[in-house]
Amino acid sequence: MRRTPLYDAHVAAKAVMVEFAGWEMPVQYAGAVEETKHVRSKAGIFDLCHMGRLVVTGPEAVKAVDALVTCNVPKLKVGVCKYGILCNERGGAIDDILVYKDSDRVHVIINAGNRDRDFRHFLEHCGGYDCEVANASDEQTMIAVQGPAAESIAAPLADADLKSLGYYRFTHGKVLGVPCLISRTGYTGEDGFELFFDRKHARTMWDGLLAKGRAQDLRPIGLAARDILRTEAGMPLYGHELDDATNPLEAGLTFGVDLAKEFWGSKAVKEQVAAGLKRKLVGLRLEERVARPGYAVLSGGKPAGKVTSGTPSPTLGTNIAMAFVDAGFAPAGGRCEVDIRGKPSPATVVPIPFYKRERKKQA
Amino acid sequence: MAVPKDLRYTKTHEWVGYDRASNLVTTGITDFAVKALGDLVYVELPEVGELMEIGHPYAEVESVKAVANIYGAVGADITEVNEELPNNLEWLVSDPYGKGWIAKGKVAGPDEFNKLLDAAAYEKHCQSEKH
Repeated sequence: MRRTPLYDAHVAAKAVMVEFAGWEMPVQYAGAVEETKHVRSKAGIFDLCHMGRLVVTGPEAVKAVDALVTCNVPKLKVGVCKYGILCNERGGAIDDILVYKDSDRVHVIINAGNRDRDFRHFLEHCGGYDCEVANASDEQTMIAVQGPAAESIAAPLADADLKSLGYYRFTHGKVLGVPCLISRTGYTGEDGFELFFDRKHARTMWDGLLAKGRAQDLRPIGLAARDILRTEAGMPLYGHELDDATNPLEAGLTFGVDLAKEFWGSKAVKEQVAAGLKRKLVGLRLEERVARPGYAVLSGGKPAGKVTSGTPSPTLGTNIAMAFVDAGFAPAGGRCEVDIRGKPSPATVVPIPFYKRERKKQA
Repeated sequence: MAVPKDLRYTKTHEWVGYDRASNLVTTGITDFAVKALGDLVYVELPEVGELMEIGHPYAEVESVKAVANIYGAVGADITEVNEELPNNLEWLVSDPYGKGWIAKGKVAGPDEFNKLLDAAAYEKHCQSEKH
């Protein structure tokens, strides 16, 4: 199992460590519920060193990335991040990613579990373009600060203007003296930043941010809370809402797919859309029990789909789940059931996302 | 980590108390198990009259992240369950060997109880699981 450069820091902080995508990662420190509430009310810091980072350079870097991802890369302005999907020829998803369009390169942020196969996919298909693909996953590293206090913690530590950095925008600058790429992005549904920098500074940055953020109660957050936060925010997790056999539009990811352009797998994606998608992703609210991935959704007592993610929601005070259901699924009043290990439990169809933060009003 | 000396244990982190006079066992899950599960959300109790069988799940406890089966440590006829526990899950955390008991049952005798891990052996087992 691999360890991030912050492994010792997690152990010293008494985190419970578990295996995730081949990495030994902190699943919780104080407890998943407490940590979730902390990110929603104050701020948390996340070790994301395990995530993958590809860098594409050269005259045709933008073209090459655009040929593989579902979002429109040429249309992006420099300094903008965009969510997209890498598709296979059958219209399924190889991974979901973030594209960062920089002045002389394109950064692609990928899931930890898909690092190697995404890199191979890029190498295989970028050959026809005048560009170079590098896997910077091991040299670079990544830490996120998320929560309503994220800006007031991070902004004074950076020599770049983070206060005016817009959502899904990035810039370059030093944070605590370390050269970083800083984006206003995250996987929690809160305001926050993700910092990319040289791996050798990982521990200094982690300890430094925690020390500087102490006055605002910045705390380390584990993967369990991260999963709750992203589920509340209705964000997909590869392997749950997306996989090799899932068309991204079944998963409701229209905002990340530009059907007007060509991309690897677009023929299949478009054909499936034209023929009518067989499934759709819905949100469920369960007052009584927690629905877990794989549990059957029942409509009128009959199987109608499958849960992809489910968790208690500390923010909403109920249990929430996402599920793939038959395209025609429309139970009366949104009332259905989830088979909880042999016992049907009532559920209500609700919109995704389950939780949306209140955006700061522009002064 | 609390491991009372008068109880016996399983490798799957159940505890058993045995009362010789009544031939009754009291069962629950250990402090170690509760801590490993994290934030608890639900406990599913067995019904009075059901059989507890060695190695078979008779109850389940659910945390934010996972569902865990609770396995029978001895064979017993379940005579009483902790009805108040589902509404007082914090008892599993604050008093796993007392107010956090799960079920009581009638056993044939002390043999199966005596074969379980004693406190020292169980503590050793927990240490090995941590590494």
